[in-house]
Amino acid sequence: MTAFVAVLSKDLRLELRSGMSTIAMVALAMLVLVVLVFALNPGVARGPEAAAGALWIALVFAGMLGASRALLAENENACIRALLMSPIDRATLFAAKLAAAAIFMMVALAAGVVLTVLFFNLNFSGALVRLAPILVLGVIGFAALATLLAAISGRARGGELLLPLLIVPLFVPALIAGVRAAGAALSGAPMATARDWIGILIAFDVLFVTAGYLLFEHVIGEE
Amino acid sequence: MLPPAVETRALGKSFGLVPVLLDVDLRVASGRAAVIIGGNGAGKSTLLAILAGVSAPSSGNALIFGQESHRLAADTRRNIAMLSHHSFLYPNLTALENLEFYASLYGVRNPHDAAYEWLTRVGLANFAGERVRRFSRGMEQRLAAARAMIAAPMLLLLDEPFGALDSAGVAIMTDLIRTELARGCAVVASAHAPMKFDGVDLDQYEIRRGRLIPLSDHAEPPRASRLRALLGRQNQ
Repeated sequence: MTAFVAVLSKDLRLELRSGMSTIAMVALAMLVLVVLVFALNPGVARGPEAAAGALWIALVFAGMLGASRALLAENENACIRALLMSPIDRATLFAAKLAAAAIFMMVALAAGVVLTVLFFNLNFSGALVRLAPILVLGVIGFAALATLLAAISGRARGGELLLPLLIVPLFVPALIAGVRAAGAALSGAPMATARDWIGILIAFDVLFVTAGYLLFEHVIGEE
Repeated sequence: MLPPAVETRALGKSFGLVPVLLDVDLRVASGRAAVIIGGNGAGKSTLLAILAGVSAPSSGNALIFGQESHRLAADTRRNIAMLSHHSFLYPNLTALENLEFYASLYGVRNPHDAAYEWLTRVGLANFAGERVRRFSRGMEQRLAAARAMIAAPMLLLLDEPFGALDSAGVAIMTDLIRTELARGCAVVASAHAPMKFDGVDLDQYEIRRGRLIPLSDHAEPPRASRLRALLGRQNQ
């Protein structure tokens, strides 16, 4: 637990100092939402389903930009080598990096939700309370996937370019489920109608958090 | 009987088809120091990376306290520290924060107090609150040494430890290494030329075409050192 807290607090402190990841993620989320609001038919653009789709697109783009930075930032001064040499368990390192990535994304997502409510004329109502756990599930799944794939792609030349190519296809099932579940939450439909979609999100999270926990020690490192 | 700190048997390492290390046999007991000398690209850093467990051998074995170097248990990793060309320091953290982080990672009691103590030992107490990004190369090297030794390791891997240090820094580093040896720590250091520590027996080796050759006290110095000695006499 001490090592987990040490790594997580170090990453949060670094992000608070530079803010690079979070600012970039918020800016990109804002850009995506603005473009979609003006690109979509006004009649469509004001609907909760469109808002849900726009929010998830913003989440994916922002996540691709920032979710892997918690791990990739260790390349400076070869700090990743020091982490690998330390007594920290690889699975604990994965958990700490996943937690850091998830926190960065949630900060950006909070800004994205506010912008979505404003741009898509939604109400700050109970619908947002129902939306929150769906977004949290999405963030956790994306952060787990991004952290694991960042470890794999980090060993390859041009790994940062490879990462989005790997993340997007694998995230599609969770993206579809997240959009449908968020649409149901925002439109006020009974959450029972979104039960299957929420189930897919939960299964996605369990799959990739477990995969990362078990596989991280085999994919992180040098030749 | 306790296993030696370092033991390699017919260790080999290749990158693709290019062999870098061939049949390296090395044994370093606790409290002993081995110096590996060689030119640029000889394989010194590669050997240290294998001993540190971050690179796997292509052939043979590298045992650290009896365990395969690329499959070390957490408790064993706790006893190994490395000083490398890379500082392993976070540029946007202060000197104190860097040491506190690594002390926490290695389970040091009172990381804050330990960090301050080590900053004082390496002559950086006045820079505790400065971000590493603003440090000179020599200051970074001193801080990196503190980072490596803060958890009282039993095996120190030093990759050209005196590079970038001024005379005061060299004196500090020499004193630190001597103290660690006296504590029973094993030291494996790389250098471009043979080292000498007063009162300390060093086992010196040279990497020549990938092979580790022991140097005796009376052995002819390597070709590079003879050339430097010749140039030094000509410049006088």
